[in-house]
Amino acid sequence: MKLTKRWLVLLLSLVLVGAACGDDDDDDAGGGSGTLEEVRDRGTLRCGVNSVLPGFGLVDEAGNYTGFDVDFCKVVAAGVLGDAGAVEYVPLGVEDRFTALQSGEVDVLLRNSTWTATRDGQEGLTFVFTTFYDGQGVMVPADSGFTTLEDLADANVCTLTGTTTELNLTSVFNARGIPFNPVTFTDSAELRPAYEAGQCEVWTSDRSQLAAFKLAIESEGGAEQHIMDETISKEPLGPAVRDGDSAWAQAVQWSVMATVIAWELGIDSSNVGSFTADDANPAIARFVGGAAPGLGLDADFAVQIISQVGNYEEIYTEHIAPLGLPLEGSTNDLWTNGNGGVMYVPPYS
Amino acid sequence: MGGRHFAGRPSSVATAGKLVSSPTVDPTAQRHPTAVWYRNVRVLRFVGQGVAVVAVVGLLAWLFNNLVNSLDRLNIGTDFGFLDRPTDFQIPFDEGFDPRSSVRSMVLVGVKNTLVAGAFGIALASILGVLIGIARLSSNWLVARLATVYVETLRNIPPLVVIIFFGFAVFTFGPFPILRDAEGLSLFGNTALILSNTVWGVPSLVAGDGTGMFWIFVLAGVVLAAGVARWRTAVGERTGRPHHRVAYAFGTLVAVAVAGAFVAGDVYSVSWPAISENGRRILGGFQLNFGFISVAVALGLYTASHIAEIVRGSILAVPMGQSEAANSVALTSFQRYRHVVLPQALRIAVPPIISQYLNLVKNTSLGVAVSYAEITFLTQSSIGNGRPAPQSIAVLMGVYLVFSLTISFVLNLYNRRIQLVER
Repeated sequence: MKLTKRWLVLLLSLVLVGAACGDDDDDDAGGGSGTLEEVRDRGTLRCGVNSVLPGFGLVDEAGNYTGFDVDFCKVVAAGVLGDAGAVEYVPLGVEDRFTALQSGEVDVLLRNSTWTATRDGQEGLTFVFTTFYDGQGVMVPADSGFTTLEDLADANVCTLTGTTTELNLTSVFNARGIPFNPVTFTDSAELRPAYEAGQCEVWTSDRSQLAAFKLAIESEGGAEQHIMDETISKEPLGPAVRDGDSAWAQAVQWSVMATVIAWELGIDSSNVGSFTADDANPAIARFVGGAAPGLGLDADFAVQIISQVGNYEEIYTEHIAPLGLPLEGSTNDLWTNGNGGVMYVPPYS
Repeated sequence: MGGRHFAGRPSSVATAGKLVSSPTVDPTAQRHPTAVWYRNVRVLRFVGQGVAVVAVVGLLAWLFNNLVNSLDRLNIGTDFGFLDRPTDFQIPFDEGFDPRSSVRSMVLVGVKNTLVAGAFGIALASILGVLIGIARLSSNWLVARLATVYVETLRNIPPLVVIIFFGFAVFTFGPFPILRDAEGLSLFGNTALILSNTVWGVPSLVAGDGTGMFWIFVLAGVVLAAGVARWRTAVGERTGRPHHRVAYAFGTLVAVAVAGAFVAGDVYSVSWPAISENGRRILGGFQLNFGFISVAVALGLYTASHIAEIVRGSILAVPMGQSEAANSVALTSFQRYRHVVLPQALRIAVPPIISQYLNLVKNTSLGVAVSYAEITFLTQSSIGNGRPAPQSIAVLMGVYLVFSLTISFVLNLYNRRIQLVER
């Protein structure tokens, strides 16, 4: 009898506690608005990143994260919280990156994810800006002699599952009538040994990823690799946030775009201190000293971002250029430079 | 007289000789008053169970409501319409699959792959498990020790590690060359076996024109064989001599099948595997991809170690007297196992073996690690490509539930027929 009573009491208290917690969650998640307040209350930004991709998101033995996307996490933190170090990095894989963002486990997803209509719609995400214009490429061993996609008929093609790579591979190869056999893995750590052992003859992924792994394979004594010139598809990579929270989306968007605006205006981390709100150039004056009208960001968010992290050129040069992808003349160059680059941002006015 | 004295009641002693039953209290009535409702055990049990049900159902309803609200907030559909939309990606090692076919057909491919790997694994695990279980009890010291090493090693390694190790050791870093350089093993002037580090080619049977008629003959042969078996059993019971019904039935079946093959003509032809011109595909024959082999064989070996332990335990549970009696009537070791020990042992072993089979089918979900396109792998790919996650996982759980319930239902029918009824 006493035992039954105890169980009853336990169950009832569980239900009550669950209901109480539930109410809190509903308040926070209600309508999706309020991520900005939540992040400010918490004091840290929860950023979903890659932990195994050199150049974009990589964690070392000491637990330090480095990379292009990791730097943009710091940019958002500097813009919203004023402190580039107030970031909690959450490593995510291909299968859980979107559910982590949907469920609220992370505030922003910076994990080399491609902006597509399906993801904006079906996944309930909003992509705010393209930080890296990439394309899908194909890598083969240099001694295989393949030059065009048609040479790859019937080949085993290694790719990661759950990515746009998989979908584009299927549609492009089918459209061109090239038969192929996909060998898909969930993790590049499983894919790389299979590719190096010859279980697949082709590795397809974003060109930036291929560049990173080509460097890794060749520097560790593997066979020479060749990335084909053909680009299978467009892969615009950028940060993503949840649907239904436009205040947060704008805050992230303008924090990220501030790095490109600074690059355009010639401001970088070394000279940002020399510009003031009384500068002769009105664009610089507004950017450096002006209030951020209704964006939800502090007045000096631009200075914080550039001084604590750097402008777009600095971030790119530190992380992507070592992979053998120079900035000048590439698609990611400034539009105003006239080299064929498409990095174009709205004016800060 | 001793006994009970009720206050205020005239003592029956006073009216000597006359037994007076008391008009005030009936001694056969209940002695204690009915408990108050909040101390009545039966009422409380009922109320307690009611509250527990309400609490559990309430909790589940609240969780479900949460999920639906969150999905609505993000504009992700809460229906199962995604099953009708195209898959959009190709399935590994499945040339016949059109990426434009619906997600439902992808699920069916996944189910088929899971069942094939599961069936193969179960067959391998059963045969190997029984043999190794018996081997552990062998009086040959070397055989017993080797079996012990096998069981103790494989039982203590997680199945994922076994699968990955097998895939890496045999295929990625293994002795087999890439397909272009693979050499076939020849038999009768034809390539019988092609071994490479991605696919293995084996010969297959291709149906011809007469296949349908052949199978009708075989069906008739089965019916005839059943009749023959029943006749021989009756003969055996009547005369008391060995009936050999299995030999007779099998003989009739073979005879009818051979006759059918002659009558039908072109029944089956053999398709031999060959490497294609560009050295990338195997044409003809039957192809086994490295994912399938890794999953099926690795899980077969792993589950065999568990089944070996179950079989060993069940053999040891057969009373020693049975073996002694068998030895006293001069049965050989093989006859002792076949006719005395194993029939009794396997009756005990069937329920745990059923659960090992279920574990094997569920463990095929680890095929993700070696790129085997079973249902979990395909569901993960489809979720990663934008299909709604809660509904996809619900479909996946439903599939495994159907597998497990079917296997356990069918095998429990067999178990009920042979089990020892003690309680």
